[in-house]
Amino acid sequence: MSVAGYVFGRRDDYKAARSAPAAEYDRGLAWAALLLAAMGLAMVYSASIATAEASRYTGQSASWFLLRHALFLGGALAAALAVFLAPVRFWQGVAPWLFGAALVLLALVLVPGIGREVHGARRWINLVAFSVQPSEVMKLAVVLYAADYTVRKHAVMKSFRKGMLPMLAVMLLVSGLLLHEPDFGALVVIAVTAFGLLFLGGMSGRHFAALTAMLTVGFTALVLSSPYRMQRIFGFMDPWSDAFGKGYQLSHALIAFGRGEWLGVGLGASVEKLHYLPEAHTDFLLAVIAEELGFAGVAVVITLFVWIVCRAFAIAREAAARERHFAALAAQGVGIWLGFQALINMGVNMGLLPTKGLTLPLMSFGGSGLVVNCVAIALLLRIDWESRQLARGLNA
Amino acid sequence: MSFASSPAIVRLPLWRSRFVLLVLLAAFAVLVGRSLYLQAVDTDFLQMKGESRYSRVIETPATRGRILDRNGEALAISTPVKSVWAIPEDVSAGPAQLARLAKLLGVDARELQTKLADAERDFVYLKRQIPPETADQVAALGIPGIYQNREYRRYYPGGEVMTHVIGFTGVEDSGQEGIELAYQKSLAGNAGSRRVIKDRLGRIVEDVGSVRSAQDGRDLILALDGKIQSLAYSALKAAVEQHRARAGAIVVLDARSGELLALANVPSYNPNNRGRLGGAQLRNRAMTDTFEPGSTLKPFTVAVALELGKVTPSSTVQTAPGRLTIANYTIHDAHPAGALTVAQIIQKSSNVGAAKLALSLPREEMWALFHEVGFGAQPDIGFPGEASGRLREWKQWRPIEQATMAYGHGISVSLVQLARAYSVFARDGELAPLSLVKLDGPVTGKRVIAPETAHAVREMLELAVQPGGTGPRARVMGYRVAGKTGTAHKQENGGYSAHKYLSSFVGLAPASDPRLVIAVMIDEPSAGQYYGGAVAAPVFSQVMQGALRRLGVAPDAPMRPIELPGEGEEAKEST
Repeated sequence: MSVAGYVFGRRDDYKAARSAPAAEYDRGLAWAALLLAAMGLAMVYSASIATAEASRYTGQSASWFLLRHALFLGGALAAALAVFLAPVRFWQGVAPWLFGAALVLLALVLVPGIGREVHGARRWINLVAFSVQPSEVMKLAVVLYAADYTVRKHAVMKSFRKGMLPMLAVMLLVSGLLLHEPDFGALVVIAVTAFGLLFLGGMSGRHFAALTAMLTVGFTALVLSSPYRMQRIFGFMDPWSDAFGKGYQLSHALIAFGRGEWLGVGLGASVEKLHYLPEAHTDFLLAVIAEELGFAGVAVVITLFVWIVCRAFAIAREAAARERHFAALAAQGVGIWLGFQALINMGVNMGLLPTKGLTLPLMSFGGSGLVVNCVAIALLLRIDWESRQLARGLNA
Repeated sequence: MSFASSPAIVRLPLWRSRFVLLVLLAAFAVLVGRSLYLQAVDTDFLQMKGESRYSRVIETPATRGRILDRNGEALAISTPVKSVWAIPEDVSAGPAQLARLAKLLGVDARELQTKLADAERDFVYLKRQIPPETADQVAALGIPGIYQNREYRRYYPGGEVMTHVIGFTGVEDSGQEGIELAYQKSLAGNAGSRRVIKDRLGRIVEDVGSVRSAQDGRDLILALDGKIQSLAYSALKAAVEQHRARAGAIVVLDARSGELLALANVPSYNPNNRGRLGGAQLRNRAMTDTFEPGSTLKPFTVAVALELGKVTPSSTVQTAPGRLTIANYTIHDAHPAGALTVAQIIQKSSNVGAAKLALSLPREEMWALFHEVGFGAQPDIGFPGEASGRLREWKQWRPIEQATMAYGHGISVSLVQLARAYSVFARDGELAPLSLVKLDGPVTGKRVIAPETAHAVREMLELAVQPGGTGPRARVMGYRVAGKTGTAHKQENGGYSAHKYLSSFVGLAPASDPRLVIAVMIDEPSAGQYYGGAVAAPVFSQVMQGALRRLGVAPDAPMRPIELPGEGEEAKEST
């Protein structure tokens, strides 16, 4: 099968694929995700050593972030295994409930005493041993909910009042809650994922165009209304004009890229991570990768994400071909979510986009993100597995 | 699942799926392009920006040069020490640990806590210049946030004996006094620099390369002779204590080379421990203080008279009745005599004789010689704070002033100036520049008086230390000595004090071929004796004897024990 055919899916290729499934599950996808996670673990350690050693909060232990990230990764893999074992229709059934629960969490995080405030943002809920980031949970929930919604409302999808308005209302609620945290980055990812699924599910082209226009106007208004967001916007356009103020973080990220050149300065040899580049182990992990592993490292990361996105859409097409519409939409939702978030994060790291509080999926430090990202990959694998079972004439 | 069984109703538009995927892939392609631009094209600019952030040129200190005496003995050396500093915010230590730290550093535990509580500051010295062993113990405590810097501490093996010459350095290792200050530039050398990468907390993480290597300071070899210096200091100190004097100073010159072999002051101080240091101890009296020299100036008056041919050593001057009144002011001799030869004026130290001699001389000529032997001008040795003394313009001289100047009043000199002026007699009439640093050999000086005049004065000065002169206690076994005592009333409240004296002796030896000039000054001896011949001359004798032996100078007199005159037998000078 041709590469283009594999990526974009020709009818006859499906048949070929259907007739002879090679393996029980999508090994390529699983390996890509694991490779990213493993690389993430190594780079989080490398990027966090200096911060961890210098901070009283971590007790000056160099491996503070490494140990936690490894723990999160273990938890995430366990959660992924559990998700893989559950049939896709189970997720379709619980989608509205999951979405409701995520909404409750988003509301709870705003309650003082429950939500933990860090750097002026209320994004975490403290549980006994760890903390949960509701916006990350919402990313997963919105994929399932929007997929289920699209399938349920398929008949009235072209209608504005019945097909689009309910989703719009729900999204406004989610937006309101996220902007209160505030978590602008999560909002963008969630909104794009939700409406992307509606678009894929057959919403009216006119409505989509109108919505796009409206969202553009809305985001612009939001940006212009807040000096804080304004600063972030203009900081990214020319970081060197105020390199020690608004452009500080970005200018250091760009320097990291420039220092890395083709093959990088070597694992562990980054200078930017030595307290110059803030959030080196979370939002700006890619900059450390770029400095230590060079363009080669960045290219590997991009390739793996491209691979995951392509597989998500291919798995969706396979499911769609078997009339498994929820599964198809959920798979594409995961593809849009992980792909879009990775794009934004990398775009921010490279100075193409304004700075947002978005992590690099599967790689950056952060337990909630890691768990939901791995669960999303597991969902893809399950959808694909069920397709393969069907192809063999077995009942999924 | 109802929809699964009704495919006709649900139809997902495939082109939209392809469109979305295409958009995502296109965006990824843009990222690849951007990454290529940043990592392959724009690298120079970005790396330059990076270097301006964390690449720093830091100074690599040069080791300060040693100061050595003429025989290579170390007088000042730099030893490595550590300074302990902290980033208060990063320090985490229990009370017990802090107590141990305070004990090791030798600071008050509460003071230490106050310093560490100041979270506003990024950098605070806890203790500077501690020995490396203590620093190792501090490091062993393993308290985070506490760091050490390597520094150098100046150590002076000679201690109080040498300190007025050597001086000392401050905590930043730069000269504050003495030679350390005078030769700061060549001792300090040039700090080098290297390019390093620093993390944002200012710690060096990588050496990128040396930009300029440090040039260590050059060792300085002084003219000073450590042994002679020690002898001079101890003899002076003993005399000051014995005579309960306020202070004293001594200068030893090599007459041939103009080299300063020794210079000591009492009271002194230990430069290695300058905790409680007063101005009196710090003063380098020999160099920076001036005094009215008294009778030690008479030989110069005589020299002027001889130079002008006004007198010969055997010409007589009537000094009876031991008084001379000029315009309401009467000059006295302590022991009135009758007619004295010019040589006897020096030997007996007659004020009236010297005054009468002076009054017969043109003011201008007298001033000229005083000026030429170095009075009234800085000796220009290159020592900080050299005093120039006071020698007034001859046009302003009134007769009484010319008369008193003849025996050393109304003029002020430093001890170094006085010693140097006497070198004219030792060098057969030449004046040589003084040198603090070791020279290769004799130097040529500038002729000031005729050799015959110098010889004649030297003979008179020899008489002065013989029995019947004022300074027999200055004699040295085995060597012929020439010298002059001085006993000056100290100036006080605009007049002269009746009971405060400044006793001095300046002389040279061996008289047949002079090698050394030594000048001794004792300020306010108050244990009964105050004549220069009794207080200062013995110091001269002791130091001259030791110094001549140390230098291996051949004796020019029979090795016979010196018989000191009995009480009352030696001539008393009048000023």
